[in-house]
Amino acid sequence: MLLRVENIHKSYGAVEILKGVSFEMAPGQSKVIMGPSGTGKSTLLRCVNHLSPPDQGRIFVEGEELTAKNLNTMRQKVAFVFQDFNLFTHLRTVENVAIGPRKLRGFSKSAALDLAYKELDRVGLSDRADAYPAELSGGQQQRASIARALAMEPKLILFDEPTSALDPELTGEVVSVMNKLASEGMTMLVVSHEIGFARKAADEVIFMEGGKIIEQGPPSQLFEAPQQDRTRAFLNVIEHGGDA
Amino acid sequence: MIFETLISQMPYLAHGLAVAIGLLVCLLSLGLVLGLILAILEVYGHWSLRLACVAFERVFRGIPAIVLLLLFYYGVTDYIDMGSFTAAVLALGLRSAAYQSQIFRGAFLSVPIGQMMAARAMGMNKLQAIRDIVLPQALRMSIGPWTNEFSSELKATSLAYVIGVVELTRQAKYIISNTQGNILIVFGVVALMYFVVNRAGNWALYRLENRLALPGFEHRGDA
Ligand SMILES: Nc1ncnc2c1ncn2[C@@H]1O[C@H](COP(=O)(O)OP(=O)(O)O)[C@@H](O)[C@H]1O
Ligand SMILES: [Mg+2]
Repeated sequence: MLLRVENIHKSYGAVEILKGVSFEMAPGQSKVIMGPSGTGKSTLLRCVNHLSPPDQGRIFVEGEELTAKNLNTMRQKVAFVFQDFNLFTHLRTVENVAIGPRKLRGFSKSAALDLAYKELDRVGLSDRADAYPAELSGGQQQRASIARALAMEPKLILFDEPTSALDPELTGEVVSVMNKLASEGMTMLVVSHEIGFARKAADEVIFMEGGKIIEQGPPSQLFEAPQQDRTRAFLNVIEHGGDA
Repeated sequence: MIFETLISQMPYLAHGLAVAIGLLVCLLSLGLVLGLILAILEVYGHWSLRLACVAFERVFRGIPAIVLLLLFYYGVTDYIDMGSFTAAVLALGLRSAAYQSQIFRGAFLSVPIGQMMAARAMGMNKLQAIRDIVLPQALRMSIGPWTNEFSSELKATSLAYVIGVVELTRQAKYIISNTQGNILIVFGVVALMYFVVNRAGNWALYRLENRLALPGFEHRGDA
């Protein structure tokens, strides 16, 4: 298994947000996590790369347990794409993509830039390489941040609602990049309510509520024949354009 | 004639001005390096370090500059051999570090938390993330408030006169007593010199701020 998430518990103060979450991912798999807002999906993703270390439970990447000691090397294998992009505002787009290889992977400056141009090309942003993040549209910023993740040549990319900060007309360009990555065999764990993406790209959909996995299965099964009432109710809301 | 006196004494005034500027550069540099370290420890350090930094800050911001000068000169030179210039650099520089740490701390805190998070998420350690991601953004935001610190410290250099640093103000005093010169005119010239240096410094810093400004982050209109 590429990723093993084992019985993760996490509390903020007295409130237990994650109440024992476990799942596994094989290389090349894509999983989509859905569930109502406030249910702990972001917290779960942040636990996976220890941006918020879990209180209990363990994370294994390629069989190696994530610990406080190997954190920085392990994170190079597990990239993170944020809802609000978090591009480095003082760096040009291409520098945003090059900085990881340059500072963390021992690339020379020119090799890092070469790789950065290649990754920008993959997300269709070559022509914006010299722009600063503030000069990009939301969709472009998110694609740049995906290129930044790709430049680490990670084993796994975590996406936390990559399209929910975008205007509806801009989500398409980001979803199509993600579709492409999935079809190229990238392993992706995606928190998203984009049913289209889930149907097309996901091997499995995980439905979470109240800090637990309520139901999981292939998208066809989960969307056409959900077993749990809560899953059904939630799908009803998002399919009819409501805000879940 | 007072103007002849002024012209003949101009080399002394120029020398005084050079000493004042030298003192300013030294004290601001000390304050910059130490102020940055204090700010980083305060924002990212262990609580015990944070406490020590806050204590330092309170002490040096809570004592009049002139008292600090006297303390360092008469208090410390008894034990460590140092001239009045060094004592002035230390007294004013440490005080400036306290003020500058506040500027930098504010700047660090105003860099959105997501910047640090994204840097850490890609595998940077805390120090790398501070150095390569947060610091370049924080420094840009510091230039504006730092301009005020520059002005205050330029004016504060004149206080070094009380411990015998022969800077601009003291030179003026010498000229007046040696030549029975016109106090008003001599100090008028000295005031003009401080004013010009101050404006020049402000102008240069403003240029720097604009040159480093990022698209979408320009936060000052035309001067
Ligand atoms: N750093 C934090 N400190 C305290 N509470 C938090 C923190 N992060 C998230 N929470 C709380 O944890 C709960 C789950 O949040 P989150 O994981 O963001 O949910 P989701 O992504 O599913 O919407 C929310 O109630 C939120 O307020
Ligand atoms: Mg969330």
